[in-house]
Amino acid sequence: MAATLLDKPRTAPVRTPRRRAGGGAGSPLARQQRRMFWPFAAPALLVYGVLFLAPVGYALWTSLYRWDGMGDMQWRGLGNYQVLLKDPSFRTSVGNTLELMFVGGTVTFVISFALTLVLREMKARLFARSVLFFPCLVNGMVFGIAAGFLFSPTGPVNQALHFLGVTTPPKWLSTDNLLPMVLGTLIWTATGYYTSIIMAAVDQIPAYLYEAAELDGANAWQRFRHVTLPCAWDVISVCAVLWTVSSVKIFELILLFGGSSSNYPPVSSWNTALYVYSEAFPQATVPRLGMATAAAIVSLLMVTVATLVLRRLMRRDPIEY
Amino acid sequence: MQTERRSAGLARRIATALVWGVVAADLLLILWIVLTSLRGSSEVLHQAFGLPAPPRFGNYLTALRDGGFGPAALNSVLVSVVSSLAAVAIAAPCAYALARRRTRVSSMLTMTFAMGLGVPGQVLVVPLFVGLAKVNLTDSHLGLILVYIGLAMPFTVFMLTGFYAGIPGVLEEAAVMDGAGPLRTFWQIVLPVARGGLITAFLLQFISGWNETLFALVLTHSQDQITLPVALAEFVASQQLNGMDYGTMFAGVCIILAPMIALFSWMGTRIIQGMTVGIGK
Repeated sequence: MAATLLDKPRTAPVRTPRRRAGGGAGSPLARQQRRMFWPFAAPALLVYGVLFLAPVGYALWTSLYRWDGMGDMQWRGLGNYQVLLKDPSFRTSVGNTLELMFVGGTVTFVISFALTLVLREMKARLFARSVLFFPCLVNGMVFGIAAGFLFSPTGPVNQALHFLGVTTPPKWLSTDNLLPMVLGTLIWTATGYYTSIIMAAVDQIPAYLYEAAELDGANAWQRFRHVTLPCAWDVISVCAVLWTVSSVKIFELILLFGGSSSNYPPVSSWNTALYVYSEAFPQATVPRLGMATAAAIVSLLMVTVATLVLRRLMRRDPIEY
Repeated sequence: MQTERRSAGLARRIATALVWGVVAADLLLILWIVLTSLRGSSEVLHQAFGLPAPPRFGNYLTALRDGGFGPAALNSVLVSVVSSLAAVAIAAPCAYALARRRTRVSSMLTMTFAMGLGVPGQVLVVPLFVGLAKVNLTDSHLGLILVYIGLAMPFTVFMLTGFYAGIPGVLEEAAVMDGAGPLRTFWQIVLPVARGGLITAFLLQFISGWNETLFALVLTHSQDQITLPVALAEFVASQQLNGMDYGTMFAGVCIILAPMIALFSWMGTRIIQGMTVGIGK
């Protein structure tokens, strides 16, 4: 899912004008590649167009109507968006999404850097890295369920605290605490992934740069600040965008956090993904598909704006080494 | 200088200990889940940590048969394998064409695929639901597979384009000189060379298909169509009414986890590389 953020396309741009002496010569390979282009590209383009791009367009269109999915669609223009702005649950959802994005992102990246620093010079680092990486392959529901049991009022965590003399442990899974708990779980499961990406970049940095820095008397922090950070900057900015996109997609972790799924979780822990889900597929009321797609479009806008701002802020001249 | 070095050494030792602490916590959590899946519900409630004595493998039987995890596991295998195979089969030639033919059109198309990476799933969920309902494909494996193939396109094409771009074109040149047509060149020369990349793409797609929850929840509901994440969500919901059967619930969790653990211990480096190098540089 990397990105919108690679502003350079992976295929090199065309610099030289195509050599086409006398209509369609070029090398046999070039000619063949010209002939095969559309037949090869068409199936994927078709699938992508029908199952991905068209739905995005359809979502934009639906967001301008009032629609319950069965009856006629009524034109509302930007009405849905106006209602959304005033809807307290939507505001909470947007606030939570932003909190997950910014607070979660900051903490995750700080820990990832720290881990990278430590892991670089550790024994058995490959093993440690693998174990830390693994949680990102696990369905978020698993963590939600495990946390629901571990942190339940008479659960193991409270039992352990009781043993240590804490008689009034926090109500971990109370409505107010759900979001911080989700945030903590998210950070814990995501750091391994970002640490791995950053470490892969750091491993490419030639050792002589570090040796030179050490000879100049740079301490660990200075080596990080003046060698690691600038050399890995490209990858870090890709990671930042990756985080932005994936933090908006979080869904099952919140849906099942604390093992509460017979009903939707309390609104105070929703993000925009849950808002969309609950508007489009409510348990008791009529679906409001227009509102749902409008909320989805807002989350797409949030990703886009955050990505553009990040790209702007993190732009640096590339460093060659 | 001396003291600075000594304190740096101490700090490093504390940091290393902390990292190992987190590593141990991760491993213990998995171990605890596995152990709990073999214990009875009342044992779990009385003593959250403990060895299963005796181990109740019956929990797995209950989960597979009564909890609905058995059919759901088969559905998950079917849906994730077929959708990832199809996604790679469709994306591979396209990525190859995009990587090899360098024109304005091809770089524009590459960008179009890359832009899809920034679209969160919730944008597509209502349109896909409505669209599939129109062609009678909701609550069907085919519908879910189609959706997963569509969702896979941006990442798979993007990743494979980067992968092909790193393969030198000399081999194909030789093949063409020998008179091989485009299909034959692709089939006999390019695909074998690209096997590693294709396997990685398949693995990553399989993993995300296996764990995908939002679309599975929305698009399937009857017992013979749901995938594992849906079965787990439904099981948890039903348990809230009947009282928790922790042993069986964690058996279900283990059924979701097991293939990921197996895959990761078998092909861990390949998965990490696919998810990191494929994204980074």
